[in-house]
Amino acid sequence: MKHAITYMAGLVPAFLLAAGLAGAAEMTDGEKQLYDAAKKEGSVTWYVSQTTTEFADGMCGLFKKKYAGVECNVVRASGQVIFQRLVQELQAKAIQGDLMSTNDDGQMAQLKEQGALAQFAPENLKDMVPELRALADKENYWITSGVSPLVIAYNTKLVTEAEAPKNWTDLADPKWKGQVAIGHPSFSGSVGLWTVLMNDLYGWDFFKNIEKNKPQIGRSVADGHNLVASGERKVALAPLPLILSDSILKKVPIGVIYPTDGALLPPSATAILKDAPHPNAARLFENFLLGPEIAEYFAKDYRYPLRAGVPLAEGMRPLSSYKTKSIATADGIKKLPEVQEKFRDTFGI
Amino acid sequence: MTSVSHPAATTWSEDQPVKMRVPWHQRLQPANLLWLFLAGILVVLIVAPMWTLVVSSFTDAKTGGWTLNNYVEAYGKERHITALTNTLKMGAVVVVLKLAFGVPLAWACTRTDMPGRNFVRYSVFGAFIMPPYLAGVGWILLAGPNTGWINRVWHSLSGSTEPLVNIFSFGGLVLVTAIGGFFLVFVLVSSAFEMINSEMEDAANILGAGPFKTAMKVTFPLVMPAIIGAALLSFLGAIALYGVPALISIPARYPVVVIQLTEFFSFPLRIQVAAAYSIPLLLITAAMLGLQKLILRRKGYVSVSGKGGERRIVKLGRWRWVLFGYCFFVVALSVLMPMFVLLLAAFSDSWTTGFSFSNLTLSNFHYVLFEHSSSQKALVGSIGLGIVAATVAITLALFIAYIVQRRLIPFSSLLAFLAVSPYVVPGIVLAIGFYAAYALPPIALYGTYTIMALAFITRFLPIAFTTSSAGVRSIHPEMEEAVRILGGGRVTALRHVVGPLLKRTLAGGWLLIFVPAAQELSTAIFLVGPTTRVVSVVLLDLSEEGELEKLAALGSLLLIIIVAVVALGMKYLGRDFMLRRS
Repeated sequence: MKHAITYMAGLVPAFLLAAGLAGAAEMTDGEKQLYDAAKKEGSVTWYVSQTTTEFADGMCGLFKKKYAGVECNVVRASGQVIFQRLVQELQAKAIQGDLMSTNDDGQMAQLKEQGALAQFAPENLKDMVPELRALADKENYWITSGVSPLVIAYNTKLVTEAEAPKNWTDLADPKWKGQVAIGHPSFSGSVGLWTVLMNDLYGWDFFKNIEKNKPQIGRSVADGHNLVASGERKVALAPLPLILSDSILKKVPIGVIYPTDGALLPPSATAILKDAPHPNAARLFENFLLGPEIAEYFAKDYRYPLRAGVPLAEGMRPLSSYKTKSIATADGIKKLPEVQEKFRDTFGI
Repeated sequence: MTSVSHPAATTWSEDQPVKMRVPWHQRLQPANLLWLFLAGILVVLIVAPMWTLVVSSFTDAKTGGWTLNNYVEAYGKERHITALTNTLKMGAVVVVLKLAFGVPLAWACTRTDMPGRNFVRYSVFGAFIMPPYLAGVGWILLAGPNTGWINRVWHSLSGSTEPLVNIFSFGGLVLVTAIGGFFLVFVLVSSAFEMINSEMEDAANILGAGPFKTAMKVTFPLVMPAIIGAALLSFLGAIALYGVPALISIPARYPVVVIQLTEFFSFPLRIQVAAAYSIPLLLITAAMLGLQKLILRRKGYVSVSGKGGERRIVKLGRWRWVLFGYCFFVVALSVLMPMFVLLLAAFSDSWTTGFSFSNLTLSNFHYVLFEHSSSQKALVGSIGLGIVAATVAITLALFIAYIVQRRLIPFSSLLAFLAVSPYVVPGIVLAIGFYAAYALPPIALYGTYTIMALAFITRFLPIAFTTSSAGVRSIHPEMEEAVRILGGGRVTALRHVVGPLLKRTLAGGWLLIFVPAAQELSTAIFLVGPTTRVVSVVLLDLSEEGELEKLAALGSLLLIIIVAVVALGMKYLGRDFMLRRS
């Protein structure tokens, strides 16, 4: 809290920030203070399940470029694995990570309850898209660090647009036997929420039906699009940005279906750990996540930028133009263990 | 000189009777202190983690009191029991397959005039160097149900859309597990074949048996102990492997124990339940060892021990090409095919497109070497841990083996027992023991290289001990006596006489540890911290994201480094260093 106050006190006029890419010369006082303190700490360790390793490495690279002298270490794994790792560290009282980004904000709520998170309101919050900002913790224990809708990917070489599934229940159509890929709710955070959503919408029969199609079950949600891109599977559950960047940047035969019954919109959350070994570097990094560099980096890679006024990449539809659904944080926490257990029973793994 | 044996070798060191009369304080001589020191190390490495494992399986996580609830939770679900029976089933089939691969190849290479024996030997050696999870990825590229190379060829030949082979199945799991470990069968059985003399086979021939009848009735029964031993180790290796199930059994939906253990290791973390769940693995191993002893005790196999007589090679006639065909088939399945697709994928933009110049790229290597956040460090970490584990394990084992072989002190056989005991502990169980004992406060080694190095040393200590022990046995004590007479202590003798004499043996053992330690996954998976990741773990993470091309590139780099180290070693030791050891 103290940090937040000293931080707010050091606010400089907003137009300076809006001026675009902030070089060292244009750093705000608060930012400069954090930067100096962070340089003494030397590095920041970031636990990520929100993005792929490649993308997270890119973000770290930008951070290091802007804040020379502060190293940035990415530790990437799927959501539940990273979370478990952190819980293990809390238990061992040997916290190694400074901050964590996940697609399952329920994890944040649980960490907050344990008193494991630090309260911090980064300076850049004020420039965020208001709707996205509102998805975060009201007491600033975590921020929204991204939104990657979960949609359906299909291989455009093997499947025509007309044949492609239109909504989630179409995935249970027998014509996709041996051709569907989904993730595992006990490994992936966002798949966990997706499982909750499907169960809410259609009951557990949804999964019993999908089971008949013998879906390939991956650990992370990030491998579905690769399976579709390679043609190993025709349709898969996948995060929107991975599909779009595959199809537009890498010219891979993959297309997006925005399910008519609603794409899952899990808000990605980032929080700083209370006992972070590098508290200032962590705060500097969290603020940086909401800065203009990352907004641009997001937009370029077909993600929704977090800052207001940054244009969407070409080929991207505004969030408001298709149906999305979210799971309330408390709901997710309450329902997740049950669906994980049911999933293991139904799919036998 | 190293192979001199002398009947006095075993009786020499029994110059102890005087000792009974020395007062206790004089017993605090260096040798005894050394014994205490070594015993202390072994307690840290072996006794404490295993004891903690057993204790914590009976400990209530919340109250710290005594409970059986962990066992109830571990076995109270049908799914958990299924994983256990699945594992046993898988282990049994893998053993059959490994024997079917390893034994004929060993026989062919040691006892027949089959063509291409060296080619087969080198290829089996390739199987030793290639970690099972890389072979697994290779096979996913080959036999993925829709785009695996084999299936695509099948589709274009037959017009069918059904897969011919599906790696994500019980068969796939068993195949990949078997090809990742049959070299051990090959090595053990090969050396047994090389010990047999041909007199008994000649006898069979004289009595009218043909070559195959002789092989079945005489030769194979003679190597039975080696085959049983190899089968046992194969089973243990198969049920404890983590990488291959992680890659294959999840998509194949065939739960096994190691995968179930990761569930207990996920949120909410239940180390105590994991400990309870891993106890059967230990019991099964112990039971298997007992069984082996029982089987071998009932029969006499004296003729296997010791060399002597002449070994004649079986002339196969036309069958030699049939046998070669089979050997080639095994080698292709286990090494050539997966290695080939892996390399091709490493140099491809997209592995599904197959080979073409436009698809050719170095970007995967560039990515894993310079862009990926942890792979560079992981390469250094893996190689470093391999070097540390091999060096420390060999040094420690040399001291223990020396003390045991020379019977310098009472209870030395206890040291020997402890040193080989980790052999029966599956890597993943060992990791849970180490985690429970050392990761948490007050010792708090979580996330350090130290805890991984300790676990790796423990894991490979048995190999180090058997190697050193065989070496020390072959040295006559008279040279050490000379050192003692000239006033040098035991340690001087060890450093300036025994060590140098055993250089080659120890270096061979070092390589035998370095190779698997640099690739170790099962032990590492629960012990890595965010800044201490090793290549095997990074590879597994890449597989999770479906980045198979990058994975192939990083895997190839690891292989290249390991091959370079091994090549150096072979230049120094001669190419057969692995095949000559039993």
